[in-house]
Amino acid sequence: MIGWPPESQPRRHPSLGTLAAYAAGTLRAGFDIVAGAHVRSCAHCARQVAALQRAHGATLAGIQSVELEEDALARALARLDHDAPVRPPPAKSLEDLLASAQRQWVAPGVWVAKIDTPHAPDDRVYLLSAAPGVATARHGHSGLEFTQVLTGSLQDGEIMYRAGDFSECSEGDTHHPQARGDEPCVCLFATAGRLRPKGLLGQIAFALADV
Amino acid sequence: MNESGPRERELSSEAALLVRVARKDREAFAALFLLAAPRVKSYIMRLGSDAATAEEVVQDVMLTVWRKADRFDPVKATAYTWIFVIARNRRIDMLRRERATVVYGVEFPEAPDEETPLASDAMAASQRDASVRDAMADLSPEQQEVVRRAFFEEEPHTVIAAALDLPLGTVKSRLRLAFKKLRDRLEDVQK
Repeated sequence: MIGWPPESQPRRHPSLGTLAAYAAGTLRAGFDIVAGAHVRSCAHCARQVAALQRAHGATLAGIQSVELEEDALARALARLDHDAPVRPPPAKSLEDLLASAQRQWVAPGVWVAKIDTPHAPDDRVYLLSAAPGVATARHGHSGLEFTQVLTGSLQDGEIMYRAGDFSECSEGDTHHPQARGDEPCVCLFATAGRLRPKGLLGQIAFALADV
Repeated sequence: MNESGPRERELSSEAALLVRVARKDREAFAALFLLAAPRVKSYIMRLGSDAATAEEVVQDVMLTVWRKADRFDPVKATAYTWIFVIARNRRIDMLRRERATVVYGVEFPEAPDEETPLASDAMAASQRDASVRDAMADLSPEQQEVVRRAFFEEEPHTVIAAALDLPLGTVKSRLRLAFKKLRDRLEDVQK
Protein backbone atom coordinates (compact mmCIF):
# COMPACT_ATOMS: atom_id res chain seq x y z
CA MET A 1 0.00 0.00 0.00
CA ILE A 2 2.94 2.29 0.50
CA GLY A 3 3.83 3.26 -3.00
CA TRP A 4 3.89 6.95 -3.41
CA PRO A 5 6.97 8.93 -4.40
CA PRO A 6 9.09 9.98 -1.40
CA GLU A 7 8.80 13.66 -2.27
CA SER A 8 5.04 13.49 -1.73
CA GLN A 9 5.08 11.78 1.63
CA PRO A 10 2.76 13.42 4.11
CA ARG A 11 4.21 16.40 5.90
CA ARG A 12 1.38 17.14 8.30
CA HIS A 13 0.71 14.45 10.84
CA PRO A 14 -1.53 13.78 13.83
CA SER A 15 -0.13 15.01 17.13
CA LEU A 16 1.73 12.50 19.26
CA GLY A 17 -1.19 12.51 21.67
CA THR A 18 -3.56 11.56 18.87
CA LEU A 19 -1.24 8.81 17.66
CA ALA A 20 -0.94 7.47 21.20
CA ALA A 21 -4.72 7.39 21.58
CA TYR A 22 -5.05 5.75 18.18
CA ALA A 23 -2.47 3.12 19.10
CA ALA A 24 -4.27 2.41 22.35
CA GLY A 25 -7.63 2.22 20.63
CA THR A 26 -9.08 5.00 22.76
CA LEU A 27 -9.94 7.56 20.10
CA ARG A 28 -13.63 8.26 19.68
CA ALA A 29 -14.89 5.87 17.01
CA GLY A 30 -15.54 8.47 14.32
CA PHE A 31 -12.12 10.01 14.84
CA ASP A 32 -10.49 6.60 14.78
CA ILE A 33 -11.65 6.22 11.18
CA VAL A 34 -9.97 9.44 10.06
CA ALA A 35 -6.79 8.89 12.07
CA GLY A 36 -6.65 5.33 10.69
CA ALA A 37 -6.89 6.64 7.13
CA HIS A 38 -3.78 8.67 7.83
CA VAL A 39 -1.80 6.04 9.71
CA ARG A 40 -2.40 3.39 7.06
CA SER A 41 -1.07 5.70 4.37
CA CYS A 42 1.84 7.28 6.25
CA ALA A 43 4.96 5.22 6.89
CA HIS A 44 6.19 7.76 9.44
CA CYS A 45 3.06 7.52 11.59
CA ALA A 46 2.73 3.76 11.10
CA ARG A 47 6.22 3.39 12.64
CA GLN A 48 5.26 5.61 15.57
CA VAL A 49 2.06 3.67 16.16
CA ALA A 50 3.99 0.38 16.05
CA ALA A 51 6.42 1.73 18.66
CA LEU A 52 3.56 2.90 20.86
CA GLN A 53 1.90 -0.48 20.53
CA ARG A 54 5.07 -2.21 21.69
CA ALA A 55 4.79 -0.08 24.81
CA HIS A 56 1.13 -1.01 25.17
CA GLY A 57 2.07 -4.67 24.77
CA ALA A 58 4.49 -4.33 27.67
CA THR A 59 1.72 -2.66 29.67
CA LEU A 60 -0.65 -5.51 28.86
CA ALA A 61 1.95 -8.00 30.07
CA GLY A 62 2.10 -6.23 33.41
CA ILE A 63 -1.53 -5.22 33.80
CA GLN A 64 -3.55 -6.30 36.84
CA SER A 65 -5.61 -9.28 35.69
CA VAL A 66 -9.38 -9.30 35.98
CA GLU A 67 -10.94 -12.64 36.85
CA LEU A 68 -12.83 -14.31 34.03
CA GLU A 69 -16.21 -15.94 34.25
CA GLU A 70 -15.92 -19.55 35.35
CA ASP A 71 -16.83 -21.06 32.01
CA ALA A 72 -14.72 -18.67 29.92
CA LEU A 73 -12.06 -21.19 28.94
CA ALA A 74 -14.59 -23.95 28.29
CA ARG A 75 -16.57 -21.61 26.04
CA ALA A 76 -13.46 -20.61 24.13
CA LEU A 77 -12.34 -24.22 23.66
CA ALA A 78 -15.80 -25.20 22.47
CA ARG A 79 -15.68 -22.47 19.82
CA LEU A 80 -12.24 -23.26 18.43
CA ASP A 81 -13.39 -25.56 15.67
CA HIS A 82 -16.62 -23.80 14.87
CA ASP A 83 -17.16 -20.09 14.98
CA ALA A 84 -15.33 -17.53 13.01
CA PRO A 85 -15.07 -14.28 14.97
CA VAL A 86 -17.77 -11.79 14.07
CA ARG A 87 -16.49 -9.91 11.08
CA PRO A 88 -17.70 -6.48 10.12
CA PRO A 89 -18.31 -5.92 6.42
CA PRO A 90 -14.95 -5.61 4.69
CA ALA A 91 -13.37 -2.19 4.81
CA LYS A 92 -14.01 -0.08 1.78
CA SER A 93 -11.21 1.17 -0.36
CA LEU A 94 -11.02 4.87 -1.04
CA GLU A 95 -12.23 4.26 -4.59
CA ASP A 96 -15.25 2.28 -3.36
CA LEU A 97 -16.02 4.87 -0.75
CA LEU A 98 -15.89 7.69 -3.26
CA ALA A 99 -17.92 5.72 -5.81
CA SER A 100 -20.65 4.84 -3.34
CA ALA A 101 -20.73 8.22 -1.59
CA GLN A 102 -24.12 9.87 -1.69
CA ARG A 103 -23.01 13.26 -2.81
CA GLN A 104 -24.99 16.25 -1.70
CA TRP A 105 -24.07 19.48 -3.37
CA VAL A 106 -23.95 22.15 -0.74
CA ALA A 107 -22.54 25.05 -2.75
CA PRO A 108 -21.25 25.51 -6.28
CA GLY A 109 -18.27 23.19 -6.61
CA VAL A 110 -18.69 21.68 -3.14
CA TRP A 111 -20.27 18.37 -2.15
CA VAL A 112 -20.39 16.43 1.07
CA ALA A 113 -21.22 12.78 1.63
CA LYS A 114 -22.09 11.46 5.03
CA ILE A 115 -20.41 8.23 6.12
CA ASP A 116 -22.69 6.26 8.38
CA THR A 117 -21.11 5.40 11.70
CA PRO A 118 -23.88 3.81 13.76
CA HIS A 119 -21.30 2.91 16.39
CA ALA A 120 -20.47 6.59 16.86
CA PRO A 121 -23.74 8.51 16.77
CA ASP A 122 -22.21 11.65 18.25
CA ASP A 123 -19.39 11.85 15.74
CA ARG A 124 -19.99 13.12 12.26
CA VAL A 125 -17.82 11.51 9.62
CA TYR A 126 -18.05 12.67 6.04
CA LEU A 127 -16.28 13.30 2.79
CA LEU A 128 -16.13 16.84 1.52
CA SER A 129 -15.00 17.76 -1.95
CA ALA A 130 -14.23 21.27 -3.11
CA ALA A 131 -13.44 22.18 -6.71
CA PRO A 132 -10.09 23.89 -7.33
CA GLY A 133 -10.17 27.51 -6.34
CA VAL A 134 -13.30 27.17 -4.28
CA ALA A 135 -13.24 28.53 -0.80
CA THR A 136 -15.13 26.19 1.47
CA ALA A 137 -17.35 27.79 4.02
CA ARG A 138 -15.58 29.78 6.65
CA HIS A 139 -16.42 27.89 9.76
CA GLY A 140 -15.91 27.56 13.45
CA HIS A 141 -15.92 24.48 15.61
CA SER A 142 -18.09 23.29 18.39
CA GLY A 143 -15.50 20.62 19.12
CA LEU A 144 -12.58 18.62 17.79
CA GLU A 145 -12.15 18.15 14.06
CA PHE A 146 -9.87 15.70 12.22
CA THR A 147 -9.20 16.11 8.51
CA GLN A 148 -7.34 13.76 6.20
CA VAL A 149 -6.68 15.17 2.73
CA LEU A 150 -7.32 12.38 0.22
CA THR A 151 -6.81 14.16 -3.09
CA GLY A 152 -5.84 17.65 -4.16
CA SER A 153 -4.66 20.27 -1.74
CA LEU A 154 -6.10 22.73 0.65
CA GLN A 155 -4.75 25.99 1.97
CA ASP A 156 -5.73 27.21 5.39
CA GLY A 157 -4.08 30.50 6.26
CA GLU A 158 -0.35 30.02 5.87
CA ILE A 159 -0.52 26.24 5.80
CA MET A 160 -0.83 24.14 2.65
CA TYR A 161 -2.24 20.66 3.17
CA ARG A 162 -1.59 18.16 0.40
CA ALA A 163 -2.92 14.70 -0.32
CA GLY A 164 -1.92 12.49 2.59
CA ASP A 165 -1.73 15.33 5.09
CA PHE A 166 -3.67 15.38 8.31
CA SER A 167 -5.03 18.26 10.33
CA GLU A 168 -6.59 18.45 13.76
CA CYS A 169 -8.41 21.52 15.03
CA SER A 170 -9.87 22.09 18.41
CA GLU A 171 -12.80 23.96 19.79
CA GLY A 172 -12.84 27.66 19.08
CA ASP A 173 -10.60 27.59 16.01
CA THR A 174 -12.08 29.41 13.05
CA HIS A 175 -10.69 28.92 9.62
CA HIS A 176 -11.43 29.36 5.98
CA PRO A 177 -9.80 26.63 3.95
CA GLN A 178 -9.54 26.96 0.19
CA ALA A 179 -8.99 24.21 -2.37
CA ARG A 180 -5.86 24.85 -4.41
CA GLY A 181 -4.23 23.23 -7.43
CA ASP A 182 -5.98 21.77 -10.43
CA GLU A 183 -8.05 18.88 -9.12
CA PRO A 184 -10.87 18.70 -6.61
CA CYS A 185 -9.74 18.51 -3.02
CA VAL A 186 -11.44 15.60 -1.29
CA CYS A 187 -11.09 15.33 2.46
CA LEU A 188 -12.28 12.85 5.03
CA PHE A 189 -13.56 14.62 8.11
CA ALA A 190 -14.62 13.70 11.59
CA THR A 191 -16.20 16.35 13.76
CA ALA A 192 -17.78 16.24 17.17
CA GLY A 193 -20.91 18.19 16.56
CA ARG A 194 -21.68 19.86 13.33
CA LEU A 195 -19.21 22.03 11.56
CA ARG A 196 -20.46 25.58 11.79
CA PRO A 197 -20.25 27.34 8.46
CA LYS A 198 -20.55 31.07 8.97
CA GLY A 199 -23.11 31.65 6.23
CA LEU A 200 -26.71 30.56 6.49
CA LEU A 201 -26.48 28.86 3.10
CA GLY A 202 -23.63 26.64 4.17
CA GLN A 203 -25.36 25.84 7.44
CA ILE A 204 -28.53 24.75 5.67
CA ALA A 205 -26.55 22.64 3.26
CA PHE A 206 -24.84 20.83 6.12
CA ALA A 207 -28.15 20.28 7.88
CA LEU A 208 -29.59 18.72 4.74
CA ALA A 209 -26.58 16.50 4.29
CA ASP A 210 -26.94 15.47 7.95
CA VAL A 211 -23.29 16.15 8.66
CA MET B 1 8.83 -19.73 11.30
CA ASN B 2 11.56 -21.61 13.08
CA GLU B 3 9.88 -24.25 15.18
CA SER B 4 12.91 -26.02 16.59
CA GLY B 5 12.85 -26.96 20.26
CA PRO B 6 15.87 -24.98 21.51
CA ARG B 7 14.59 -21.86 19.82
CA GLU B 8 11.24 -22.12 21.59
CA ARG B 9 12.89 -22.43 24.97
CA GLU B 10 14.51 -19.03 24.46
CA LEU B 11 11.15 -17.36 23.97
CA SER B 12 9.02 -16.00 26.77
CA SER B 13 6.52 -18.61 27.88
CA GLU B 14 3.66 -16.77 26.17
CA ALA B 15 5.59 -16.55 22.89
CA ALA B 16 6.47 -20.24 23.07
CA LEU B 17 2.81 -21.04 23.69
CA LEU B 18 1.78 -18.92 20.71
CA VAL B 19 4.20 -20.81 18.49
CA ARG B 20 2.55 -24.04 19.64
CA VAL B 21 -0.93 -22.55 19.17
CA ALA B 22 0.05 -21.87 15.56
CA ARG B 23 0.37 -25.65 15.23
CA LYS B 24 -3.20 -25.98 16.59
CA ASP B 25 -2.05 -27.25 19.97
CA ARG B 26 -5.16 -26.97 22.16
CA GLU B 27 -3.27 -27.55 25.39
CA ALA B 28 -1.02 -24.62 24.58
CA PHE B 29 -4.08 -22.53 23.75
CA ALA B 30 -5.65 -23.33 27.13
CA ALA B 31 -2.43 -22.36 28.91
CA LEU B 32 -2.13 -19.15 26.93
CA PHE B 33 -5.79 -18.36 27.58
CA LEU B 34 -5.30 -18.55 31.34
CA LEU B 35 -2.31 -16.19 31.12
CA ALA B 36 -3.51 -13.68 28.55
CA ALA B 37 -7.31 -13.58 28.70
CA PRO B 38 -7.58 -12.06 32.21
CA ARG B 39 -5.18 -9.32 31.11
CA VAL B 40 -7.12 -8.65 27.92
CA LYS B 41 -10.31 -8.42 29.96
CA SER B 42 -8.62 -5.91 32.24
CA TYR B 43 -7.50 -3.80 29.26
CA ILE B 44 -10.97 -3.83 27.68
CA MET B 45 -12.60 -2.83 30.97
CA ARG B 46 -10.14 0.03 31.43
CA LEU B 47 -11.38 1.40 28.12
CA GLY B 48 -14.86 1.67 29.60
CA SER B 49 -16.60 -1.62 28.82
CA ASP B 50 -18.60 -3.40 31.50
CA ALA B 51 -17.52 -6.87 32.60
CA ALA B 52 -20.03 -8.75 30.45
CA THR B 53 -19.05 -6.88 27.28
CA ALA B 54 -15.38 -7.30 28.10
CA GLU B 55 -15.93 -11.04 28.49
CA GLU B 56 -17.41 -11.20 24.97
CA VAL B 57 -14.52 -9.21 23.52
CA VAL B 58 -12.09 -11.57 25.28
CA GLN B 59 -13.76 -14.58 23.66
CA ASP B 60 -13.51 -12.93 20.28
CA VAL B 61 -9.89 -11.88 20.80
CA MET B 62 -8.77 -15.33 21.92
CA LEU B 63 -10.59 -17.01 19.05
CA THR B 64 -8.79 -14.62 16.70
CA VAL B 65 -5.50 -15.52 18.42
CA TRP B 66 -6.24 -19.21 17.75
CA ARG B 67 -6.98 -18.61 14.10
CA LYS B 68 -4.16 -16.20 13.36
CA ALA B 69 -1.37 -17.56 15.55
CA ASP B 70 0.56 -18.71 12.47
CA ARG B 71 1.07 -15.03 11.65
CA PHE B 72 2.82 -14.37 14.96
CA ASP B 73 6.52 -13.76 14.43
CA PRO B 74 8.46 -13.73 17.71
CA VAL B 75 11.27 -11.82 16.01
CA LYS B 76 8.98 -8.91 15.16
CA ALA B 77 6.82 -8.59 18.26
CA THR B 78 6.42 -9.88 21.76
CA ALA B 79 3.44 -12.11 22.42
CA TYR B 80 1.68 -9.38 24.37
CA THR B 81 2.25 -6.72 21.74
CA TRP B 82 0.80 -9.07 19.14
CA ILE B 83 -2.18 -9.90 21.35
CA PHE B 84 -2.60 -6.23 22.26
CA VAL B 85 -2.96 -5.20 18.63
CA ILE B 86 -5.57 -7.92 18.07
CA ALA B 87 -7.47 -6.81 21.18
CA ARG B 88 -7.34 -3.16 20.11
CA ASN B 89 -8.66 -3.96 16.64
CA ARG B 90 -11.26 -6.53 17.65
CA ARG B 91 -12.67 -4.20 20.28
CA ILE B 92 -13.16 -1.47 17.70
CA ASP B 93 -14.60 -3.95 15.19
CA MET B 94 -17.10 -5.16 17.72
CA LEU B 95 -18.19 -1.59 18.35
CA ARG B 96 -18.98 -1.34 14.67
CA ARG B 97 -22.16 -2.73 13.38
CA GLU B 98 -21.17 -1.32 10.07
CA ARG B 99 -17.59 -0.65 9.27
CA ALA B 100 -16.77 2.47 7.36
CA THR B 101 -13.03 2.36 7.48
CA VAL B 102 -11.09 3.84 4.65
CA VAL B 103 -8.30 1.58 3.56
CA TYR B 104 -6.47 4.07 1.63
CA GLY B 105 -3.57 3.30 -0.62
CA VAL B 106 -3.77 5.67 -3.53
CA GLU B 107 -0.77 7.02 -5.33
CA PHE B 108 -0.01 10.47 -4.15
CA PRO B 109 -0.27 13.15 -6.80
CA GLU B 110 2.62 15.39 -7.67
CA ALA B 111 2.73 18.59 -5.68
CA PRO B 112 0.24 20.92 -7.35
CA ASP B 113 1.00 24.37 -8.63
CA GLU B 114 0.46 26.74 -5.77
CA GLU B 115 -0.03 29.77 -7.96
CA THR B 116 -3.54 28.87 -9.15
CA PRO B 117 -5.69 31.93 -8.60
CA LEU B 118 -8.59 31.63 -6.23
CA ALA B 119 -12.13 32.05 -7.46
CA SER B 120 -13.98 34.73 -5.64
CA ASP B 121 -17.25 34.12 -3.89
CA ALA B 122 -19.36 36.57 -5.82
CA MET B 123 -22.49 36.91 -3.77
CA ALA B 124 -22.49 38.70 -0.48
CA ALA B 125 -23.30 36.34 2.36
CA SER B 126 -25.76 38.74 3.92
CA GLN B 127 -27.80 38.92 0.75
CA ARG B 128 -27.98 35.14 0.54
CA ASP B 129 -28.99 34.83 4.15
CA ALA B 130 -31.84 37.29 3.74
CA SER B 131 -33.21 35.41 0.75
CA VAL B 132 -33.06 32.11 2.65
CA ARG B 133 -34.97 33.59 5.54
CA ASP B 134 -37.69 34.79 3.18
CA ALA B 135 -37.92 31.35 1.61
CA MET B 136 -38.15 29.67 5.02
CA ALA B 137 -41.20 31.67 5.93
CA ASP B 138 -43.03 30.07 3.00
CA LEU B 139 -42.54 26.49 4.19
CA SER B 140 -45.39 24.38 5.60
CA PRO B 141 -45.48 23.92 9.40
CA GLU B 142 -44.33 20.28 9.04
CA GLN B 143 -41.41 21.34 6.91
CA GLN B 144 -40.54 24.15 9.26
CA GLU B 145 -40.47 21.70 12.17
CA VAL B 146 -37.95 19.34 10.57
CA VAL B 147 -35.91 22.23 9.21
CA ARG B 148 -35.84 23.86 12.64
CA ARG B 149 -34.63 20.64 14.25
CA ALA B 150 -32.14 19.72 11.54
CA PHE B 151 -30.85 23.19 11.09
CA PHE B 152 -31.24 25.23 14.24
CA GLU B 153 -31.07 22.42 16.80
CA GLU B 154 -28.44 20.57 14.72
CA GLU B 155 -30.14 17.27 15.46
CA PRO B 156 -29.10 14.27 13.36
CA HIS B 157 -31.88 13.00 11.11
CA THR B 158 -32.23 9.83 13.19
CA VAL B 159 -32.87 11.90 16.32
CA ILE B 160 -35.50 13.98 14.54
CA ALA B 161 -37.25 10.83 13.34
CA ALA B 162 -37.35 9.46 16.89
CA ALA B 163 -38.51 12.74 18.42
CA LEU B 164 -41.35 13.24 15.93
CA ASP B 165 -42.17 9.52 15.73
CA LEU B 166 -41.68 9.58 11.98
CA PRO B 167 -39.92 7.09 9.72
CA LEU B 168 -36.39 8.23 8.89
CA GLY B 169 -37.33 8.29 5.20
CA THR B 170 -40.13 10.74 5.89
CA VAL B 171 -37.79 13.07 7.74
CA LYS B 172 -35.31 12.94 4.90
CA SER B 173 -37.89 13.50 2.17
CA ARG B 174 -39.48 16.35 4.12
CA LEU B 175 -36.09 17.98 4.51
CA ARG B 176 -35.25 17.45 0.87
CA LEU B 177 -38.47 19.09 -0.25
CA ALA B 178 -38.06 21.95 2.18
CA PHE B 179 -34.47 22.58 1.25
CA LYS B 180 -35.25 22.23 -2.43
CA LYS B 181 -37.61 25.17 -2.07
CA LEU B 182 -34.85 27.08 -0.35
CA ARG B 183 -32.31 26.07 -2.93
CA ASP B 184 -34.52 27.11 -5.85
CA ARG B 185 -34.76 30.52 -4.30
CA LEU B 186 -31.04 30.65 -3.79
CA GLU B 187 -30.26 29.64 -7.32
CA ASP B 188 -32.46 32.47 -8.56
CA VAL B 189 -30.50 34.86 -6.43
CA GLN B 190 -27.16 33.45 -7.52
CA LYS B 191 -27.84 33.89 -11.24
